[in-house]
Amino acid sequence: MIAYTTDKAMGNPCEIFVVDSRTADGLNAADPIVKIPITNGPKVTSMLWGPLDEYLVTGHESGEVVQWDLRSGKTEGKKTIMTHEHSNKINDMQLNQDGTMFITASKDHTAKLFDMATLEPMKTFKTERPVNSASISPIKDHIVLGGGQDAMDVTTTSSRQGKFEARFYHLIFEEEFARVKGHFGPINSLMFHPDGKSFASGGEDGYIRLQEFDPAYFEFRFDY
Amino acid sequence: MSRRKNSESIGNDSEFGDNYVEEPDFSDPEDFVDDIAEEELLGDILQHKPKETGGFDSIIVVDGIPQVAKEEKKPGSDQKTRLEKLQNIIKKLYNSYGTITNEYWPIDANNKTKGYVFFEYKRPEQAAEAVKATNGHKLDKTHTFVVNLFTDFEKYANISETWQPPEPQPYPDLGNLHYFLELTPNTPSANASAATRRQEPDCFNQYAVLSDAGGSTAIYSNSLPEPTLIEERKLWTEKYIKWSPLGTYLATLHGKGVALWGGEKFGQIKRFSHPGVEFIDFSPCEKYLVTFSPMAESHGQPGTHAIVVWEVLTGQEKRSFSADRSAAVWPALRWSHNDKYFARLQRVERKDGPVETISIYETPSCGLLDKKSLEVPGVRDFSWSPSDTIISYWVPEVNYGETPARVTLLKIPSREVIRTKNLFSVIDLKMHWQSSGEHLCVKVDRYNRAKKEKDDTIKYVGVHYNFEIFHLREKNVPVDSMEIKDKIMAFAWEPVGSKFAIVTSVSNTSNNVSFYCVKSGTEPALLKTLEKKACNHLFWSPRGQHIILAGLLNLNGVFEFVDTNDFTVMGANDHFMCTDVEWDPTGRYVFTAVSWWGHKIDNGFWLWTFQGRVVHRHNVQRMCNVQWRPRPKTLLSERQIKNIKKNLNKYGAQFDLKDKMRASRASKELIEGRQRLVKAFTEYRNKCIELWKEQKPRRLQLRDGVDTDSLSAGGGEMEEESVELIVKKEVTIIP
Repeated sequence: MIAYTTDKAMGNPCEIFVVDSRTADGLNAADPIVKIPITNGPKVTSMLWGPLDEYLVTGHESGEVVQWDLRSGKTEGKKTIMTHEHSNKINDMQLNQDGTMFITASKDHTAKLFDMATLEPMKTFKTERPVNSASISPIKDHIVLGGGQDAMDVTTTSSRQGKFEARFYHLIFEEEFARVKGHFGPINSLMFHPDGKSFASGGEDGYIRLQEFDPAYFEFRFDY
Repeated sequence: MSRRKNSESIGNDSEFGDNYVEEPDFSDPEDFVDDIAEEELLGDILQHKPKETGGFDSIIVVDGIPQVAKEEKKPGSDQKTRLEKLQNIIKKLYNSYGTITNEYWPIDANNKTKGYVFFEYKRPEQAAEAVKATNGHKLDKTHTFVVNLFTDFEKYANISETWQPPEPQPYPDLGNLHYFLELTPNTPSANASAATRRQEPDCFNQYAVLSDAGGSTAIYSNSLPEPTLIEERKLWTEKYIKWSPLGTYLATLHGKGVALWGGEKFGQIKRFSHPGVEFIDFSPCEKYLVTFSPMAESHGQPGTHAIVVWEVLTGQEKRSFSADRSAAVWPALRWSHNDKYFARLQRVERKDGPVETISIYETPSCGLLDKKSLEVPGVRDFSWSPSDTIISYWVPEVNYGETPARVTLLKIPSREVIRTKNLFSVIDLKMHWQSSGEHLCVKVDRYNRAKKEKDDTIKYVGVHYNFEIFHLREKNVPVDSMEIKDKIMAFAWEPVGSKFAIVTSVSNTSNNVSFYCVKSGTEPALLKTLEKKACNHLFWSPRGQHIILAGLLNLNGVFEFVDTNDFTVMGANDHFMCTDVEWDPTGRYVFTAVSWWGHKIDNGFWLWTFQGRVVHRHNVQRMCNVQWRPRPKTLLSERQIKNIKKNLNKYGAQFDLKDKMRASRASKELIEGRQRLVKAFTEYRNKCIELWKEQKPRRLQLRDGVDTDSLSAGGGEMEEESVELIVKKEVTIIP
């Protein structure tokens, strides 16, 4: 199954579609498995599948996170849980390795860790710039955040090259412990490699950087 | 006629024709009770409802007018009788306070006016104003008006015989306003509750942070290793906050006026009502508060002026002034160091043109000193000495050097001229007093030649600068001169000591910083010049000796910390886009801040030691302002201070021990906190993992048996296949 959302444009409201990709007919938008229109609400900016394909979790432009149950109706999805923890647009949401938690990156300068089933916010990671993307490490209790200015404000920040950094925070203590420089434009997307030994980042400057960790990263420990 | 479609309309009476519809019934149903009060519906009209006793409030009695015989008007002549002339003069005066609806000129038996007249105004407020304004007005040499409200007579006649003295109001105990300076012995309980107690066992300075674009105000104590929050309130102020000069009060500005807070819990101490207040200023000893509101004048309400002087302890309004051009620069009223006098520049209209005056007022009466302003034609600026009641002012030159520019030192209240100095070829002048009042430095911009351009502007050629140093403590106040060729960007006296620093601009990008020492009898001696510094502002530590060379604005916030005892650079760093630099009152720490008023992103403040090491970086959303709480002057005598400095080693060991204990305590707390967090989180994770394992069969089902749980499990192996392809066939014939 493929789930996708359409943007609010040309008079059409924002909608969530779930279609069957196994048949050619299924991909036709006219006959989706589930179609959820979002007529009065803020538009969807990010979406994730639940662990057993039973529900979808969407992040919206207002900062809301909503869980939609797909099993209920034929064409209608039911909004089961909704939380409004962020005060500004959610830029990205990513699952952890087993799909039980996800992290949201928001324009309100924070990233939050949520539990998948209950949508309960568990941790908050604070920065001074809008966070564009966040990813959870599959092997360690680390997360990485990437962000920067809005594209239009870039010229007013520090002119030093390479100042845009990927920032590493400890998952439990919410404390920053490392930064990786390199991009000279805001970072738009980040992800750990599934084996946790490297990560990829893409930025406004047009570069994709693949960064492998050196042994010091794996040996690093917080005192507790 | 045939029935029409709208036969369902109410009350259709087809007898009267098709277009007739009966009017709906407008009267209330029978048991309807009107629950809206009349005031709500007709409030504004009811205000004008004539009151029974209201009539007398608008009558005033004017006594003391000349007695004039009522003459017969000569028939056919245009000349007014003397009575009519008198009436016209008086009426003209009183018409300006409102509309006179009634007047009565009583006449006695001899046909002369009795000497008083009754006027009735349309509104009682107009009558009250007329009384206030004209009571005591001198009509001519022998006649002074005595004006009262009509109701006053009744009031004064009925004063009761028994007079009860007013009950003494209970003294509002404001608590210990200086709690923030107190030292408490290090009792065991103090350690545990140090965060919740309000006192300062270890002499940390406090500071106030205005953040969230003014929505939130917080007061912190600069404790190590982390600052402790003392008080935080949302919307404590509507505009901005300001500490009083000795640190006792915190002033907040609101739409209706100013409020002062202080004491242990920052309770409200006083309120001053001044609608639309925009700026405030404290007198140096915190006895008086001056507020400025541009709104008051424009509303045309008499009685509210733009500049008001309040007494802080009682909350009383002492004196008010209307704003004129002199209020273009705030503070408009300048105080002497001991709060005894304050002065302002004024442009007073005289018969032969406007004259600039310096008006000096004395406290506590707030009356003009000697009832006369100091007339100084052309005076541009003046300033008080920070340690004596002496004013220095300057007058620019007239007509390109015909009359030279002059700086004068005047002693108040005797108005004795201590010293004057004539200066030639002066474009502009700035006066800088040193904080101990020992020296006054006057920076003079001079020209070699002046050309008058076509459009009447003056072009100066060959601009150079002079410093005139007045030595106040010597006999006859000698003056030393020093000339500088380069353009001067900044000037700063060392607050304690006799050095000053200037920033000169040699070229567009680099500036030189020069340090001079002031000695009497010779011109200031150049101690050192530091070249090629990116610096356009100077910030001395309040204790002297240390200085920060700051490059703000276009230089984007670079700092160098210099020890001026030996001119070594102790540290250099930068805080991108910094807008403010604030030393704490003891000179140990410095804040550099990026204010939201100057820059919309990256707002926050950094704390540095005086040596240039960054201690903390705080990022605060939309931070506007961070201000240290000032401290009053030390109570220790000179000898005691010397003693302490001698025994610094002994005290130093004590404090080091304290610091170590504090640091270890902090890390222990931190570790305990972390352990708790880890425990909670692993519990949660274990639950999740259990759930995940249970769901595994379902997962396999959904994914057609492909196990996706880990990278290497089933199907993730890569197989290497070698395929040989023939790329090229070549035949070579070997002979």
